Order: sequence, then structure tokens, then C-alpha cells
Amino acid sequence: MERRREELHRKKQRLAEIRRLRVERQQTLLSSQTMQTDSSTAPTRTTASTSTSSGTGRGQKDIDDLVASLLGDRLGSRGTNRSRGGSLTQSLSEPGQPADRTPAASTPTPTDPLSPSGPSPLSVGARAAESPGVPSTPCPKFTVFDTVILDLPPKERLSYNKEAQTMDWSPEPAVIPEEEIERRVREQREKDEKARRLLEEQEQKRQEELQRQRQKLKELSEEEKQAIEQSAEFTDFMDFSSKLVERALNEPYDFMTDYTIGSQANDDTAAGNQVKLFASFRDDRWSKNRSVTDVAWSKRFPELVASSYNRNPMAMNEPDGIVCVWNLHLRDRPEFVFHSQSDVLCVAFSEFQPTLLVGGTYAGQILLWDTRAKSQPVLKTPLSAAGHTHPVYSLDIVGTQNAHNLVSASTDGLVCTWQLDMLAKPQEMLELVHPAHARTDEVSPTAMGFPDGETATFWVGTEEGHVYQANRHDRAGSKAGLNTAEVYRGHSGPVTSLHFHPSCGPVDCTDLFLTSSVDWTVKLWRAKATSKASSLAHQQRSTLLHSFETADDYVYDAKWSPLHPAVFGTVTGSGQFELWNLNNDTEAPVLSTTVGANKALNRLAWDKHGRKVALGSIDSMVYVYDIGEMVVPKHQDFTDFQRTVTELAATPVQLSSPGDYAFD
Amino acid sequence: MSDIEDTIQRLVAKKGVKGVIVLTKDGAIIKSTIEEALATQYAKLMSQLVQSTQEAVEQLDDQNEFTFLRIRTKKHEIMVSPDPNFVLIVVQNPQEH
Repeated sequence: MERRREELHRKKQRLAEIRRLRVERQQTLLSSQTMQTDSSTAPTRTTASTSTSSGTGRGQKDIDDLVASLLGDRLGSRGTNRSRGGSLTQSLSEPGQPADRTPAASTPTPTDPLSPSGPSPLSVGARAAESPGVPSTPCPKFTVFDTVILDLPPKERLSYNKEAQTMDWSPEPAVIPEEEIERRVREQREKDEKARRLLEEQEQKRQEELQRQRQKLKELSEEEKQAIEQSAEFTDFMDFSSKLVERALNEPYDFMTDYTIGSQANDDTAAGNQVKLFASFRDDRWSKNRSVTDVAWSKRFPELVASSYNRNPMAMNEPDGIVCVWNLHLRDRPEFVFHSQSDVLCVAFSEFQPTLLVGGTYAGQILLWDTRAKSQPVLKTPLSAAGHTHPVYSLDIVGTQNAHNLVSASTDGLVCTWQLDMLAKPQEMLELVHPAHARTDEVSPTAMGFPDGETATFWVGTEEGHVYQANRHDRAGSKAGLNTAEVYRGHSGPVTSLHFHPSCGPVDCTDLFLTSSVDWTVKLWRAKATSKASSLAHQQRSTLLHSFETADDYVYDAKWSPLHPAVFGTVTGSGQFELWNLNNDTEAPVLSTTVGANKALNRLAWDKHGRKVALGSIDSMVYVYDIGEMVVPKHQDFTDFQRTVTELAATPVQLSSPGDYAFD
Repeated sequence: MSDIEDTIQRLVAKKGVKGVIVLTKDGAIIKSTIEEALATQYAKLMSQLVQSTQEAVEQLDDQNEFTFLRIRTKKHEIMVSPDPNFVLIVVQNPQEH
């Protein structure tokens, strides 16, 4: 405080000094000017000046008084408002400014009451202009200029000190007037601040109100609505966001459930040996009048299942073949729909690129769709001799993440190997022929299967009912192509599916495979591991382990459970879904259900975790069943299964139709 | 056109769904299945909410994007699916599942 007072005092002193200096300077300037004008205009002006000087002098005095009173006010407040006073004095004392501002500033300058009574330069200039005809040789050039008297309020400069901004409650505020003044100033400033804030708030409110009104007013006309509805952008948005909402709506579990509130009795007691229909998928637009030709689960997203369809004879304008990808959490419509120009006979998700799907068609083309693209295939194989020209009923992706191939087989016996990103030309082509066959050397594969982890050797089920082993490459001891020495005879009708036992658990059973056929049977085989061309040995060794003959119609598919070693499922033409557990019973299924409207079931697929199966029916439905606890294997199941298999191998199989042997 | 109508009808037909409203980003109603007064109110308030949520999310992380909003209330649940240009609002009662 003390220091500040000192400073104040110093400033006041300086102010006084500056004022004194300026007055002096002005006086000298004025006197020199009056001398000059007097000397130059003396002859003509004497009379005029006397007449006007009294008038102007009075006016001058009035102005001076006014200014003095005004400035007096300010001078009084100068002490109180330091920052203002400071700025004022500064601007007044700026060097160079007084000189060019004297004519105009002569009004505010009269801080000095002892202003010269003589005529100011202003009046001089005016008078000089009044008498233009007067010749005045040594006088300076006078020009007319308008004077504008400005009294600009000094710019308000807010300054804050770093000290606490609280009121200073010193014990004797009244004693020291400066303190009091300071306080008042602060109060004033606070008041101003408050007012300003209030104003700002009001402004903001007004603006909000305006915005709200604008919002309220904004309403779309019918045309605008239509335009928006027709835009592709809007369609995309609706498509996407409604899917999100539908998925969210389908969530069965309510995470906000309050368990402290007694809930209604939920007597959905899941019986041990029961499968439950989890979902059924169909789409009026896309899957109507078509039959499901294949179903496949996504390896990456366990909730996605793809189904392929053949043509819809009622709608010629629709694409002949389609593939739908269904989401278990989106019940009413497919997540994606893909198109094909020909009936799609089989479909598979790429194991290694989760967005890709491949499909084999009736025309022989292999198509590749991408969920990131639109419904048209992103790649397709040529329909020429460089590819399949016959229906492709089976394809498989074999290999590993870094080296995998698509292998496809068409009914003319051609097996092609493709690189997924280059479908223009097959990497390998292999013709399956059987030159030793009694009637024809043509082999027509309808089903194909690779043992788990195997990429070079595969087994094909054919139209005539035999199963053959074939090699993709030349190998020591065997040539590429059909291994004619290994014929698995047993089925008396076309083989509809062939599935190798997946390697699961501690026991390796990957040499076992199941085939289903239109001869109403499912057969369990053991593949001959060695490819010795000893026909004698192979005739002695029974490879057919068992024949399951409970079906009363064509059996379209048979698949091992990926979880339980002894469990497999079959689907039949009469719409039966049967579940077998070989450890329990080898003569009858443990479970048999009639699915849907009793329509033939074409395909069966287990999901990755083995807890659900998807079934495709010929009436365009895809059913997903929840398999309960019965497929969860216990540890002894593996050893039990091994024993069961040995038992089965020990008992000779009675072939139901011995006429099969007539082929050879 | 009819696709959009179908989509909305399918949503409304779901168990527990009370209403569906589709808005532009300014809060103007494009489609609505509930009475107009309530719909305008929803439109007004929800578009403000969407805007402020968007701002909040972007301020927290400017690389981030606001994609879905679910508001659970005692009576029902409001699901908001925003987009740069549109907003879909679905009101449902989750207890009716």
C-alpha cells in the first residue's frame, strides 16, 4: 500500500510537470503565431478583428469554461482512476502530437485557464479565408479545413493485479481516501462486470430461444421428404441403422434385469436329450420358391451362417442363384444377399479371410463374394475349358493361413485348384478317370472330402455310389488322379455327402469318414492309410465299418460333430433330423426330430463350437437348432469311441444290396 | 421407398417396440410412427442430445466417433442410431421381450 501511494504521488508530480511544460510550450507557440498573423494581417484586419474578437472571445471563453469544467471533472477523477488518468496523460504528453493537434486540440487543451485571450489559430485561419482578395506577400498559405471537435473517451483498459481479488478490509478504510476510492472503483467494476455478465446471459438465452424456434419451425414438406427418402444415402442409412437396432432388440438378455423383484415362473426346463429350434430364417423377397442347396457357418463370426439357393422358377427377373448370410441376432432378414447368374450349389466361408465367401454353381463357375462389396461377385472363374463347365457340387478350402487353396470338383470328373485372389485360371487341373471300369471310364464326383489336416489326398463320392481315393499330385508310389486300387463299394445310389472325422480330443480318428446316399443309408468307413496297390489285401480288409439303415428316405447329408467324437447328425428327404451317438447306440439315433413343415432337408452344418446345427430345407427355410448338453463330451467318450470303432470293425457288415458287385 | 416403409414396419412389429422416428440431422422429421406432438418433442430433444453427445465424444478423443446411443429409463429404452445426415430413434419396452 505504502509503495503504491508513493508511486501515485510520483505520478502526480510528473503529471503536473508535464502540464506545466506543455503550457509553456503552447504559450510560446501561440505568441509566435499571433505575432506572425498580427504582422501579416494587421492592415486590413484591425477593424474586423475588433468587431469579431469580442464575439469570438466570448465564445472562446465559453468553450474554455465548458472544457475546463469537463476536464475538471476528469481531473478530479484522474486521481481515483489511475489507469485512466495514466492513459490520458500519456496520450496528451505524446511528443509530436501536440503540434499537429493544436488547432483541433486547442479546445481540450485549455487545461490552462491562463489561455491566451488573443485570437486562436482557428479564428485566424477562418478570418484569413474570409478575405481572399487581400494580397499578403510574406504570409504562409492558409487553407480551409473543417475542425471536428472530438472528445473520445479514453479506451478502458482493464488491469488485474495478481493479488487476491478480495476486498481489502483494512481497519481504517475511511481514513485513507485513496483506499476508499480504490474500493469504490473496484465495486464499480464489479458491478459493471455483473451487468455485463447478465447481458451476456440474456443474449445467450435469446439466441437459444431463436434456435429453438428455428428448430420448431423447421418442418419438411412432402416433396422434401420424398426426395430424402429416395436418396441412396438415406436408403443406406436406414439399411444399416435398422440392422443395428434390430440386433439390439434381439438381445435375449436384459442387462437391466432386477433380480430382487420376483419374476414370473419360467418353466423352460431344458430336458437333457432335446434339441431346441433356435431360429428359422427365410426372406420373402429372396428365398421364396427356392430350395436351400447348402449351408455353411462363418469360422470367424460364430453368429453368421450362409445359405445358398437354387433358382426361383416363378421369378425370371431375379438372379438364378443367391446366397444369403444370416445373423442369429437378426431374425427377420439376411445380413447380406449375394447374387449369381446360375443356381448356387455349394457355399463356404473362407476360413482365413472372414469377409469372403465362395460358391460353386450349376453352370460350373466358382464365384467369390465379399461382404465389403455389393451383392455381385467380386471374382468369378471363366466358363470355358480353362475351368469347370459342369455343375460344381463340392468345394473345399484346404491348407493353412499362408498357403491355402480352393479345391473344387465338377460332375465331369474335373478337379481344379484355385488361388482365391486369382480365379481367372486354375492353378492345377486334374481329370479323374477310371480306365479299368467295366462300363465307362468317367467318374462323376458328387461329394468330396479331405481328411483333417490333409491337403494332397482326398476322397470322392460318385454318382454310381462308389467312393474313391484320389491324389492331387504325383507322389512316390502313386500318380496324380484317381487311385483305382482303392474303391469303397457299398452304396447302391449316388453319394450325397462325404465327411471325415474331425480331429478332436486325445484320440485320433481322422481316418474315419461318413457317407450318405440316396440308397437310404449312411455308412461309416475307415480310409486305407497306405496306398498299396494290392487288391488282395484290400479285399480282405474290411473298410466299411458300419451301415446305418434307419432312414426311410434319401439321406442327403451326414456330418460329424466337431465336439463329440461319437456324435454325428443326418438329414433326410422326409424332413427328419437325426442325431446319432455311437457310444450309446449304433443301431438307432439318440434323437430324431421332424423339422419344420416336414419338407426334405438338403444340408446340415455344425457351427464352430458344435453347439448348434443349421439345416437347409427344400422349402427355402434355414433352421438353426440348439443342441443341448448331449454333445459335450466327457473324457471317457474318446476311449469309448475307440472301443466302439474296434467293435464295429470286428463285426462284418451285411450289405443290403449285394447286387453292387455286378459292376466290376 | 417401399423398402424403407417395410423396414420401419418390421421394426414397429417387433415385440415391445413403441415407436420409430427418423430425423434429419437438424431434427426435422422424415418418418414417424407415433403421434405428431410427441414425435416433434422427441425430435427436438433427441437431436439436441445427439449433438451434444457427438461433441462430447469428439472432445474426449477427436479420432473417435459416436455410433450408437441407448438410454435405459424406468419405463422404456430409447435407442438412437446417428449418422452424419440422419438419426434413427426407436423406443422400446425391454420388459416385453
